[in-house]
Amino acid sequence: MIKESYNAAEEGNLVKAALDGDKRAFGEIVSRYQKMVARTVKSMLGDSVFAEDIGQEVFIKLYYSLSEFRGEAKLSTYIQKIAVNLTLNEIKRRKRFFSMFSQKGNNEMYEFEVADHDTEERKEASEIVNKALLAMDPKFRVIVMMRMLQGYSTKETAEILDLPLGTVLSRLSRAQEQLKGILEKL
Amino acid sequence: MNSSEIKTLLISSLNADADPAEVSRKLEDEGISYDFSKGFGDKVLNRIFSTGLTVTREVEFLKSMNFAFYRIALTGVAAIVVLLISIFLMEGSLSFNSFLGLSDSYDESIVCLLTGN
Repeated sequence: MIKESYNAAEEGNLVKAALDGDKRAFGEIVSRYQKMVARTVKSMLGDSVFAEDIGQEVFIKLYYSLSEFRGEAKLSTYIQKIAVNLTLNEIKRRKRFFSMFSQKGNNEMYEFEVADHDTEERKEASEIVNKALLAMDPKFRVIVMMRMLQGYSTKETAEILDLPLGTVLSRLSRAQEQLKGILEKL
Repeated sequence: MNSSEIKTLLISSLNADADPAEVSRKLEDEGISYDFSKGFGDKVLNRIFSTGLTVTREVEFLKSMNFAFYRIALTGVAAIVVLLISIFLMEGSLSFNSFLGLSDSYDESIVCLLTGN
């Protein structure tokens, strides 16, 4: 299972310590969840310095909103919500910017670099996944990312995105159609 | 996994009955993983805690400015009250002329004073 899961009581103590200004406690939270945030941000925005900035913004926002975290949901769910919201806002901002100042299409909005892999096959797999994701409509991309890369169930996806379960299921089916079309061209 | 196997896995992962956790693990095994650059955590902590320091300094500065303002304002009000009392005692009234120190002067003498004749 790829999802990060930690003891709720221990996490509660970490949050409390971070709220009291314990830098190391917040550092521990960052180190536990940075991969999860990277999966969200980099798969949705492409692998670029901007994605890194949004990743930092996620944890900064988390730090300043920790007092609002009541522990009713998992900390990972709370962080995931922040990451998804900031990423979708960044996509909207880029869309506005590109529609005003650039002739480039939506696909050029994202920078994408294939990291070094030990085999050519893995490199190709990574390229296919990232190209396909970035070519998708953001409202489908987010659902595919949550399910395919983060391993969230449909119910968890609906909870994080604040969407009705039926909407997530219908988007999942439409996302599958779109993904098929994109993968045929790759 | 070759490219067609990856494509099949991606498409089937969106089936309603697929196990998302299983798919994400398979993709991770195929090297599809994401992380931030080295030192990401330190950068985040530096941004948060150095901003906190700046904010603390700003708050301290504003507090001292506020304190200084009250001290100056209170001293000013006290000085004005003392001035009013002394004008009243010296001039016997608090008229506009008393404020200007002209209560004893006639209009003609003011004109002479201003014109020099």
